[in-house]
Amino acid sequence: MIMRNFKYIFICYIIICTCSCKRKVEVSYGVNSVDVYDSKAQKIKPKNEAEYISILYTNLFQSPISPSILYQTQNVLYSIGDQSAAKEMLLSNYFNLPGLNIPSNDYMRNNTEAFIIETYKRFMLRQPNQSEIYFFKKYIEENSEATVEMVYTAFAASDEYGFY
Amino acid sequence: MKRKEFIKKTSLLVGGGVLSPYILPSGRLFAKTGTEKASHVVLIMFAGGVRQQESVLGRYLEDSQGVSGAAGNIMPNLFDGAPPNKKVVYGLDVPGEVKGTDPIPMMVSSPLSKEGLFFPEVRAQSAGHYVGLNTLLTGSTATTQGLKVRPRNPTIFEYLRKHRGFSASECWFLGNGIGNSTPLLNSSDVLDYGLQYGANLFIPPVTFGSQGKAILSNGKAYTQQELRPMYDMKSFLDQSFDLEKSLQNSIVNSDWEKTKIKEFIRNTFVKQQLGQIPSPPNAGGSDAITATYAAEVMKEFKPRMMALNMSQVDGCHSNFTGYLRSLHRADHIVGWLHEYVKNNIPEMADNTIFIIAPECGRNQNPNPIIDENDWFAYDHSDWNALRVWSVMVGKNVPKMKVGNESNPTGRLTDIVPTIADIFGIYDEVKSSSYIDPLATSQFMRI
Repeated sequence: MIMRNFKYIFICYIIICTCSCKRKVEVSYGVNSVDVYDSKAQKIKPKNEAEYISILYTNLFQSPISPSILYQTQNVLYSIGDQSAAKEMLLSNYFNLPGLNIPSNDYMRNNTEAFIIETYKRFMLRQPNQSEIYFFKKYIEENSEATVEMVYTAFAASDEYGFY
Repeated sequence: MKRKEFIKKTSLLVGGGVLSPYILPSGRLFAKTGTEKASHVVLIMFAGGVRQQESVLGRYLEDSQGVSGAAGNIMPNLFDGAPPNKKVVYGLDVPGEVKGTDPIPMMVSSPLSKEGLFFPEVRAQSAGHYVGLNTLLTGSTATTQGLKVRPRNPTIFEYLRKHRGFSASECWFLGNGIGNSTPLLNSSDVLDYGLQYGANLFIPPVTFGSQGKAILSNGKAYTQQELRPMYDMKSFLDQSFDLEKSLQNSIVNSDWEKTKIKEFIRNTFVKQQLGQIPSPPNAGGSDAITATYAAEVMKEFKPRMMALNMSQVDGCHSNFTGYLRSLHRADHIVGWLHEYVKNNIPEMADNTIFIIAPECGRNQNPNPIIDENDWFAYDHSDWNALRVWSVMVGKNVPKMKVGNESNPTGRLTDIVPTIADIFGIYDEVKSSSYIDPLATSQFMRI
């Protein structure tokens, strides 16, 4: 009797073990880095204010902007005639906030070409052409007062950044 | 190179170099300056639909609510006339007395309409706000104008910048709110004119209100030297993008002007914090805020052309009591602004012309809404809403009253050719084909 019960228990144990212990299959997904645009000429639609602000904020802080701040910012930009001046002020405000995710000036000076390519990809979503690399490389090397903040402000306030 | 050829080329180069800075955007070599009547114009678009009866006619409660013996002038800074005997509602509150029994003291020494050119009965071309504002700024009847689109015809700012060569920071529009498409009034969408000749714009209740403070006041203050690389790099980026004129979505200041505007915004927040910004002593709300910062803009930029919009009187749709209070305060704000320029901005003090005109009137008959005093409210849609007035006062403006209730003289579309006349570009504006053919300078209506 005991032997018979042990046999059943042993069979149940085997069934439970074989059913519950399946090897876990690890699946992971990734995103390949691609340039959205081959050329700036493909950008023909202006970003609206909400798009501009939320894209810029996410770009600089690597986190989404809150709806209330987005709403306030939209109103404030709408209330100033010179959009370029308004955007420059907005950026100078962002540069004073904690949590900003931008490279250091040392990185820019020591890796100028890489910095330029990364900046073009980050803001313009495309590779710079040779003349663009040449201009910025030369400009950054020859102007000690050119900082990352100034480069980023120039990109974010540029006409091209206002289009997609 | 032969000597003759050298001299010829050198002369051409030198001549070109000397003359080119004076070539206006319109292609003319020199602006007309001989006929300029004043160096600055301030246009106050007053104040959100004003009935003739309570404003220029001084009827107070008599025509609107049927209260006999209750006529009187509640706009002492603009119009001549004794205040009503029954002083209730519109003035300041005195503890222990009926609300609003103390009229706000006059800011000016003599009513502005007595000191300048006064048209007491002018015809508006529309009974609506946005079309009315468009009329005041474009000189057109604006019959096809819709909301949420820029003016369909060039504004006075664009005429002045294109034909008179004013820079962007010499032309300003200050609106009192971001609703009702007000921020679109600084420029038209006409291709030959448009944003490239538009005015600078602030909406002070937003730009310098809590929202503006939260978004802009914490900015880093860069010096012009620090900003130079940014402008160099931006200029390279913009040139290589080569934005089409039709896609331009903002007015453009020079780098110097832009830096000055940013400094102004930053300094204004500092002054605000220190309580150093003077404002109309007895008025609050968006109209007073707009006038307050209009004064700051004038002090800083000395604009050649400034227009500002007030609209709190529009509460008349549902609250006649509030309308009377707002009307009295709008008058106070105009008086304050006039005196502020006179006493605090020497460059503009004796060299400015103020023009004040409503964008539309209000109905003859009330709607059914009654307020706390059981007074009926008024909309603006009938013939009476086309009855307005205008006051122009300042340098080289004659003291004269033109027309009366039974002899209407002038149109609201006259304001743009009048300003053009003041700055010496009347012919250019009149022949532009964009303005009302019946419009003419008020100086020519005398």
